[in-house]
Amino acid sequence: MSQLDRIKVFQIIIYVVAFFVIARLFYWQFIAKVEGTFESIISDSFLPAPRGEIYDLSNFPLVTNQEAFLIYGKPHDLDQNPEEVAKTVAPYLISEKYATKSAGLSEDEQKKKDEEIKAKEEELIKRLSDKNLFWVQLGRKLPKDVKEEIEAKKIRGLGFEPDQKRFYPEASMAAQLLGFVAFDKIGQDTGYWGLEGYYDRKLRGKPGRLGQETDPLGFPILVGKYRPIASQKGASLYLTLDRVVQFIVEEKLKQAVEKYGAKEATVIIAQPQTGSILSMATYPTYNPDLFLEFDESLYKNPAVADTFEPGSIFKVVAMSAALDLSIVQPTTRCDVCSGPRQIGGYEISTWNKKYYPNSTMTEVIEHSDNVGMTFVSGKLGIDKFYDYINKFGFGRRTGIDLEEESTGFLREKKDWKTIDLATASFGQGIAVTPIQMVQAVSTIANKGRLVSPHIVAKIASSDKEEKINSKEERQVISPKTAAQITEMMVNAVENGEAKAFAPKGYRIAGKTGTAQIPVSGHYDPNKTIASFVGFAPADDPKFVMLVRFTEPTSSPFGSETAAPTFFAIAKELFNYWAIPPDENK
Amino acid sequence: MLPVSDFKIQKKNNFNLIGKIKVRVIVIIGSLVAFSFFAQLVFANNIATDGQKLAQIQNEIKKLESENTTLKVKIAQESSLATLTQKAQELNFRRPSKIITP
Repeated sequence: MSQLDRIKVFQIIIYVVAFFVIARLFYWQFIAKVEGTFESIISDSFLPAPRGEIYDLSNFPLVTNQEAFLIYGKPHDLDQNPEEVAKTVAPYLISEKYATKSAGLSEDEQKKKDEEIKAKEEELIKRLSDKNLFWVQLGRKLPKDVKEEIEAKKIRGLGFEPDQKRFYPEASMAAQLLGFVAFDKIGQDTGYWGLEGYYDRKLRGKPGRLGQETDPLGFPILVGKYRPIASQKGASLYLTLDRVVQFIVEEKLKQAVEKYGAKEATVIIAQPQTGSILSMATYPTYNPDLFLEFDESLYKNPAVADTFEPGSIFKVVAMSAALDLSIVQPTTRCDVCSGPRQIGGYEISTWNKKYYPNSTMTEVIEHSDNVGMTFVSGKLGIDKFYDYINKFGFGRRTGIDLEEESTGFLREKKDWKTIDLATASFGQGIAVTPIQMVQAVSTIANKGRLVSPHIVAKIASSDKEEKINSKEERQVISPKTAAQITEMMVNAVENGEAKAFAPKGYRIAGKTGTAQIPVSGHYDPNKTIASFVGFAPADDPKFVMLVRFTEPTSSPFGSETAAPTFFAIAKELFNYWAIPPDENK
Repeated sequence: MLPVSDFKIQKKNNFNLIGKIKVRVIVIIGSLVAFSFFAQLVFANNIATDGQKLAQIQNEIKKLESENTTLKVKIAQESSLATLTQKAQELNFRRPSKIITP
C-alpha cells in the first residue's frame, strides 16, 4: 500500500470515528431521555407564598406574618443518639402556652408541661430511630428565637426550613371575627372561620418554584437552565373595623360579663349609612395564636352564627311595618291593653304584669307592652307582617363577608297561625342572628334604607385593588316612618326602664329586650337573653349598636344589664369621635 | 521528456509544499483549540465567581427580608393598644372627661 493510500485510509477512519462520535452525541442530546443524575443538580425548590395581612381602618395590622421555621432531622446523620436529641429538643416543641419561664407557671401547669415534654420526647425518639427514613419532620412554625436556641446546641443531623406564621399584634382582639390559620389535610396553611376562612383563597397567594441549576457546591450556574416561577403574596384585607372602638368594646364587655355573671356577651357596632362594621366583639374569646388550647365552641362568631329569639327589641320591626302601612300612628290608642289577652288558646301578658289601658303606640314601645304589640300585629295581619319581616332581611343571610353566617329561622308563611302573628310581634317564635338585628335597626337609623353589612373595605394585592361595597341596598320603609319609629325609640330611652343609665345631653334611640330561652318545648324562666339595640345621635346617627347577654345571673332583664353596657360604650364613643353633648338637653 | 532526476526533484518539492501547508494548518488548529480551552477556563472561572456572587446577593436579600419582617412585627407589637394602654397607665395618663371641639 502506497503512502497516499495509507493517508486516505487514515482519513476515512477519522471520518468514520467522527461520524460515530457525532451520532452518539446527537443520540444523547436529542433522543435519549436521561433522568436522575442531571436533574439532581437542578435546585427545584418550593417558594412559599406569604399570606396576605389584615389591616384595620387606620391601616394597623391586626394580623401579619412573622418568620417561623420547620425543624427536621436526618436519622442517619445524627451525631448523638435519638434519646439525647429528643431530650434536648422536646422542650422547644411543646405548646407555646408554656413558652413563659417556669417561674410564671402554676404547679398544675408545670405538671402538665412536664407531661407534655415527656410525650413529645417519646414521639421524637420514635421518629429519629427509624433508620428507614432519610428525613423526618420534627416540628413546624417554630419562632426564630427558638430556632436560634436549638441551633446553638450544635446537633449534627438537625436542620431548618423557612416557614411563616401568623402574628397578632393585638393578641386576642376580634379573634372570632378574624378566624385563624391551621394546617389542612396535606399540611398547607388554610384559613378557618371568620375572615381567614371566608377570604382564604384571596389571602393564601400562589406558591412559586425556584427551578435553578446549581453546581455541586450549591451555587447557581448562570448559563444553566433557569426557570423560576415567582411566588405571589396573598392579597391583604383592609377592614372597616376600628381597632380603638374594638378595644373599648372588648374592655367594657369583659367588665360587664363579670359584673352581670353572663355566660356570654356579644356587641356589634355598625355605621348605618354604609353598612360598615366598626366593631364586632364576643366574650369569652380565644387566642388565635394558641387556638388549639381553647374549646372549639369558641371558634365560631356568635355575632353572625348564633340564632336567638330577639324578644322586645323586635317590637321596633313590627311597629315600623304598621307605621309604614299607616295602619297605626304614634298617637293611635290601644283598645285591648287593659289586661292580659287570650289569643289562639294562649294568654298574652306583659313582662311585669302591669297594664296601661288606652296607651298610645309611643307608650306601647316605651312600656315594652306585649299586649299592645298584639294590637298592632292584629291590625297588620300575617301577610303584611311577614312581608315586612322579609323586607328587613330576616330569614336569610345578610351577606356579610364572614364564613359562618347563619340564616336565622323563620317559619314559612303558610305555617303561621294567629298565635304566631301575636308572639312574633314581640319577638317570640322567630329566631334571628345578631347581625340581622343590627341590619334592621340600621335601616331605621338610615332613613328607612337598608344597606347590608360588610367588614372588608378593600382587597389589595401587588397588582390590583378591589373595593368592596355592600351587597344589597334598598328602601324598606319610608323616611317618615323611620323618623316616627326613631322618635318612639328616643322616648323609650328617655322614659323607659333604663333611663337612669343614659348619658345626659345626647338623644339616643334604643329598645331593650329580654327573651326567655326555649328549652325542650317550653321557656326556661331562669334563663334569658338580655339585649339592647339602638343608635346615636338619634338625628344624625354615627353608629348602631347591639348589646346581647346570654343568661345574665345578676338580673335577667335587658334594661339592667345590656342597656347600661350600651350606654357605657356609647359614652366612650362620644369621647372618641368628639361628639359633644347638647347643653340644652 | 523530462529527465527522471528532474521529475523526482519536482515531486519532492511538491511534497515539501503540501507538508508545509499541513503543518501550518495543524499549528493554527492547535492554537485555536488551545485558545478555546483557555477561553473556556477563563469564562468558566468567571461564571463560577458570578454564581457565587449571585448566591451572596440572594442570601443578602433573604437576610434583609427576614430583618424587615422582624422589624415590622416589632413595630406592630410596640404600637399595639395593649402596649400603649400599659404605658399610659405607667405614666398616669387620665381619660378625657370633656369633649373639646374646634
